[in-house]
Amino acid sequence: MIKAFLQGKPFGYPLHPAVIHFPIGLFFLTVLLDVANLLIDTGNVLAQSAFYTVSFGLIAALIAILLGLVDWSDIRADHPAKYTATIHMILNLTATALFGISWWLRSVELGKPTATAPLLAVLLAIAGMGIIFYSGYLGGSMVYDDGLAVGRHRRRTDTPDHTIHASSKDSPDGFARIAPVDALRSEETLHAEVDGHVMTIAKLNGELYAFQEFCTHRFGPLSEGQFQDHNIMCPWHGSCFDVRTGKVTQGPAKVDLKTYEVKLESGQIFVRVITK
Amino acid sequence: MKEFLQGAWLKHPLHPALVHIPVSVWPAALVFDLLAYTGNGGNTAVRVAFYAILMGLVVALAAVPTGIADWWDIKQDRLAWTLGVFHMVLNLTASAVWALNLGLRAGAALNLSRPPLIPLLLSIIGTLLVLISGYLGGRMVFNYGISVGRNSKQKWREIAQAGHANLPPAK
Repeated sequence: MIKAFLQGKPFGYPLHPAVIHFPIGLFFLTVLLDVANLLIDTGNVLAQSAFYTVSFGLIAALIAILLGLVDWSDIRADHPAKYTATIHMILNLTATALFGISWWLRSVELGKPTATAPLLAVLLAIAGMGIIFYSGYLGGSMVYDDGLAVGRHRRRTDTPDHTIHASSKDSPDGFARIAPVDALRSEETLHAEVDGHVMTIAKLNGELYAFQEFCTHRFGPLSEGQFQDHNIMCPWHGSCFDVRTGKVTQGPAKVDLKTYEVKLESGQIFVRVITK
Repeated sequence: MKEFLQGAWLKHPLHPALVHIPVSVWPAALVFDLLAYTGNGGNTAVRVAFYAILMGLVVALAAVPTGIADWWDIKQDRLAWTLGVFHMVLNLTASAVWALNLGLRAGAALNLSRPPLIPLLLSIIGTLLVLISGYLGGRMVFNYGISVGRNSKQKWREIAQAGHANLPPAK
């Protein structure tokens, strides 16, 4: 419940990407005020202003860190964007620490009525901002290139937290064993790789279905999609496919999904990849 | 030109990157206004609000053409297109409100220790407008996937191909 709230599901909107506007904007304004203060002699009004903006930026950054950690923990460990997310996290923690030190140096100095920000505090802020620009770029890539958190609020069940690797090599009938059926409740999905085929295995109204993981529009992750009747909806652009046949039922996708044969035997899910 | 504004050269959409600034520093200006108005921070808070509004306005102007370029590519029958129109109208209104606000603060008002009532009211209105509009913008990305997958089509096509997926015809 708390996780769903921190991920912004009740708002239909992820919270981390909304909150991070504030540290980015306020830290950037801090640096601009610092630089203006170095270039123009206006007493210490600009330095005092920068102290305000860095203080509020830090408060916002701490909130953003909490929300970001929740989002980070939810990315599947073998997802291509997990590495980017980890770098993004380390960089942001580093930048926040730099701004934290910068704030502390200022707070000591600015108690004196005529004082201005110490040069070290300014340099730390500039370095922190450089890190944030790069890290923000990575954060944007995670959304715009890898679609993290896109359409996530529509999903009613947890998304798969790992990939199941299976092979039909030692199987007489070509069926590969995936997992115990208890691992899957209704409207839940598994993310599996069977003999190189990457697929979603879904349970819907008591039936099991297996189909290709990637949407045929821009290749969004169907194992993170939402079910509507017999359809799976891609989290990215809302393409819908009938899970029974793989047929497109709503665009923008135009090409049908590949589907796979599933069977249930002695409490285990089996999938067969028919290769021509 | 459209591709430049959409951020193809940066491999990152430009509009969502630029809007961080106005979306954050304008509401921050309201916070500083309220601090000053309630007798905290005095002239420093009044000045911070002025700088914040100025910075927001400069970046907001740059964000306008990039936003139009992103909106241009949305199909007209999609709900996101209509959402985009509301988002645009709200943003242009918000920018006008903040521009007027900034104009009222320039000059002698910059030396006050609390903001006059009209600029304060404009800050409240401008903040509401930009937050509502920002929410709509976020919905366009996170609910409708606008600009998602635009620069990464090739990367994901290769991943999907390696996973033996059916693929759309390559362009």
